[in-house]
Amino acid sequence: MIIGTGVTKTYKQRGDVLGGRNVQALRGVDFTVPKGGAVSFIGESGCGKTTLGRIIAGLETYDSGEIVIDGTPMTPLSPRRRRPYFRRIQLIHQDPYSALNPTRTIHQTLRAPLSLRASKTGRPASWIDERAEELLSLVGIDPGYVLGRYPHQLSGGMRQRVVIARALTVDPDMLVADESVSMIDVSMRLSILALLKDLRERLGVSVLFITHDIATARYIGGEGELYVLYRGQVVERGLTETVISAPVHPYTQSLLSAIPVLHGLERPGPERVVPTEALDERQADGGCLFARRCPFRTKRCEAELPILTAGTDPAHQYACFHPQRRDVIPVEAVA
Amino acid sequence: MTVTAILPGGGGQGSRRASLRRNFWRGVGRVLRRKPSRILGVAIVALFAAMALVGPMLYPAHLPRDDNALYAAPSLAHPFGTDFEGTDVLALVVTGARYVILTGLVTAVITVALGTVLGLLAGFHRGRWDTVLMRITDLQLTIPGLPLLLVLSTVWKFQGPLEMGLVLGLLGWGGIARAVRSQTLSLRERGFIEAARGLGLSTTHIIGRELLPSMAPYIAMNMLIAVTGAIYAQVGLFFLGVLPFDSNNWGVMLNLAVFGGGALTSAAALPYLLAPLLAILLLTLGIVLIVDAMDEIFNPRLREE
Amino acid sequence: MITISHRAGETPRPDSHSASGLIAGPGATTAPGVRVRDLTVVYKTPLGELPALGGVSLTIDPGTITGIVGESGSGKSTLALSLLNAVQPPGRIAGGSVEIDGLGNVVDLHGDRLRQARGRHLGYVFQAAQNSLNPLKTVGKQLLDLGRSHGVEDRRALVRDAKSLLERMGLDGARVLDSHQHELSGGMRQRVGIMLALVLNAQLVILDEPTTALDMITQATILRIIREVHKERGLTTLMVTHDIGVAAEVTDRLAVMYGGRVVEHGPTMEVLGAPSHPYTQGLIRAIPRLSGDIEQARALPGRPPTLGTLPASGCVFQERCPLRMDICATVEPPPVIEDGRTVACHAVERSRHTAQREEHP
Repeated sequence: MIIGTGVTKTYKQRGDVLGGRNVQALRGVDFTVPKGGAVSFIGESGCGKTTLGRIIAGLETYDSGEIVIDGTPMTPLSPRRRRPYFRRIQLIHQDPYSALNPTRTIHQTLRAPLSLRASKTGRPASWIDERAEELLSLVGIDPGYVLGRYPHQLSGGMRQRVVIARALTVDPDMLVADESVSMIDVSMRLSILALLKDLRERLGVSVLFITHDIATARYIGGEGELYVLYRGQVVERGLTETVISAPVHPYTQSLLSAIPVLHGLERPGPERVVPTEALDERQADGGCLFARRCPFRTKRCEAELPILTAGTDPAHQYACFHPQRRDVIPVEAVA
Repeated sequence: MTVTAILPGGGGQGSRRASLRRNFWRGVGRVLRRKPSRILGVAIVALFAAMALVGPMLYPAHLPRDDNALYAAPSLAHPFGTDFEGTDVLALVVTGARYVILTGLVTAVITVALGTVLGLLAGFHRGRWDTVLMRITDLQLTIPGLPLLLVLSTVWKFQGPLEMGLVLGLLGWGGIARAVRSQTLSLRERGFIEAARGLGLSTTHIIGRELLPSMAPYIAMNMLIAVTGAIYAQVGLFFLGVLPFDSNNWGVMLNLAVFGGGALTSAAALPYLLAPLLAILLLTLGIVLIVDAMDEIFNPRLREE
Repeated sequence: MITISHRAGETPRPDSHSASGLIAGPGATTAPGVRVRDLTVVYKTPLGELPALGGVSLTIDPGTITGIVGESGSGKSTLALSLLNAVQPPGRIAGGSVEIDGLGNVVDLHGDRLRQARGRHLGYVFQAAQNSLNPLKTVGKQLLDLGRSHGVEDRRALVRDAKSLLERMGLDGARVLDSHQHELSGGMRQRVGIMLALVLNAQLVILDEPTTALDMITQATILRIIREVHKERGLTTLMVTHDIGVAAEVTDRLAVMYGGRVVEHGPTMEVLGAPSHPYTQGLIRAIPRLSGDIEQARALPGRPPTLGTLPASGCVFQERCPLRMDICATVEPPPVIEDGRTVACHAVERSRHTAQREEHP
């Protein structure tokens, strides 16, 4: 189980000698990923979801706040002592083309972390190859076919499976999948998502799913929580089905309204929310981060920052002064 | 989805590795055969390597002189004529190859080894390591090579090709270090390096097994180019007469042809001048023709196609 | 609908059609139709020449927006480039024709006539992710370059048209023309791309993955603009995309490509609502949706073919097809047109025959 509280991260952008502009990637994010659970972070590019995923996978540091992994707070630990904890959380990259070393065969790629593990746990050398084949079978590819091959000889979908198998070499507790299917052909995406779902159900590996595509989040984390991030802040959080079917924050509603409708299969939802402006990250802070684009803003929104609070349903939280449920998602067309 | 049956562990690691290596060399052969120019390059370089290895053994320790044929014109007995003492020019070129090529190799190995190691360390560790190593590199780059060599040669008599190569090598690694560093900086952002760190693999593994092979074509190319650079440098030094003439060397030949034989004004010493020049040109050409194949040799995608 | 979105500093133009006189373009020209016949494009590879398009036939009615949907290797981009006769080596058009109203067979056009046709008759909007703009020149400079290369006399009118087009798309025209590529966001760049494709009054517009790499909300804005501009200017529009949702949102007709063939073509609503070809069916079932039961989503087994892995004979989809029959391995199914829908599948053909036999015994 991983619990984050008030996690912040600020990037200093390189400016002139007099100093540059700071970009707040995360503005105090709370999250909980239960053991064996599925949690999704959604938002547009620049909302901080990738940064958060990288922090959780230990690939980046956070500025303030606390991350507790299985009861151990990370902040007091030195980077060296944090490492074994973060190793149990493996990131699955978006790009399966750059995630595998083009000069190494799949066998070499899997062998390196496995032999490290074998030497640490005193397993015999024969275990390494057995385990490599076992893992490849587990992710649904024929070891005999891929082991001797180089990444360029495999399709995008197969590469992503190899990347997942490599992450499994360290027996992780959690996989962070950052847009892990966006570069894979449409017809093969669902099989990769199904694999992640399957690994969670069978091995109890929790999955943190980071995406801009809410429908895939619905597929993989249906029973888990969904977090909507906007400019480094969680603006809405709740059970995935709840947030999708009864969104309350106008930003969530805009995101859902923007999803193309599969005419013929679906009809557009009765309501639709469109931001009044395009995103401009340079806009002054102070009030609600979404205020300038929000069609429902009031004076209060421009002056005061709303914090995440629950309504009648304690599991459904939102950061909005004027929460109102709107039916924006497409409705299934009845044939 | 179902878990497919675990297959029996096909082959030990040893045999798998050996077959990988065999495949590599087979791939190299395939890459070289793709263009006739590469075969030509390999043939030329092999010829010069043979010259350097066995050339001096083909002739007596002191090459015979023929006082009756000073600056003789090319003939069947002397394809490139003779020099001021009546020694066969071809014999001089062949016996001089060892010195030239050995220096070139030593220089190349030193520049590439130093440049690669320092560049990799600076690029991979960044921060303080990077700052210190790059300042040293800048220092090396600002040292004017030729004047320093001129000064050095007055106080230190270089003994043979190894010392020569060492000096040239120590003066030439800066450019490679900078280039390798920038390559490392861009590679370390790649997913597979990040994944290796996330999996807890050692720095030695990451640098040696993940980063280095990705840069292999680049390093190999630099190594070959460094050989030609070193050959030009030492031949130049001998030509200028900066270094003592202690043995046969193409640079010495050039020097004697121009300053002793007046090759630039009279035609008699012209073959004596052209022979070592031709040797240098041919060797450079051979290397350049091979450099073209490096990218394909070290990139599995291009190699296996 | 609240208002259309616009960036800070852009002129707000909530759905205004004020400059419609300019927007509508010259009334004399009308939307052209396109007839692609048996188009074959081959690529030279170490394994010999392999077909990226294997005899594609496709009729695009004037005034429609047609979506061309396919995965990587389906030949959709090759088809789009063929309409401009712009297939680059190692590819070449090996056979067939592309008839465009007012232009004739594009495959036969060469040199200056071809160059003139691109821009004046055919507008091409590049993928949003690609930097199709010159980073060193302002948008206005590039507009003038475009005008010069097409021999436009009245440069003022050109700039005026460009401005009104940009303003129609919700941008501050003067400011955008004065900007360099890096000063524009992805959505703004894409609108500039559309403007450059339309400013010479092209009546046939081809959009190549117009919203790839754009954010969801920006994508929705661009899609709405594409639909509106299409209608106002009376264009024939072709949109190439891998994303069925994007195609579904804007198109009237949908052509589904697989392995260098058009396997299904028909009105978008019908193709999505009642797909005939097993590939279309599988593809639609493999898309996680917001509506309906998510557990119904099913992965399509196997992977799309590449140039080298296309089956040597028979149907291109045979390896992944749940309805495969013996004939599929040997005979390539011909496209069959019925009720305005085209399907190339033996199984669909057979069930149609049985149905007819039952109706008329």
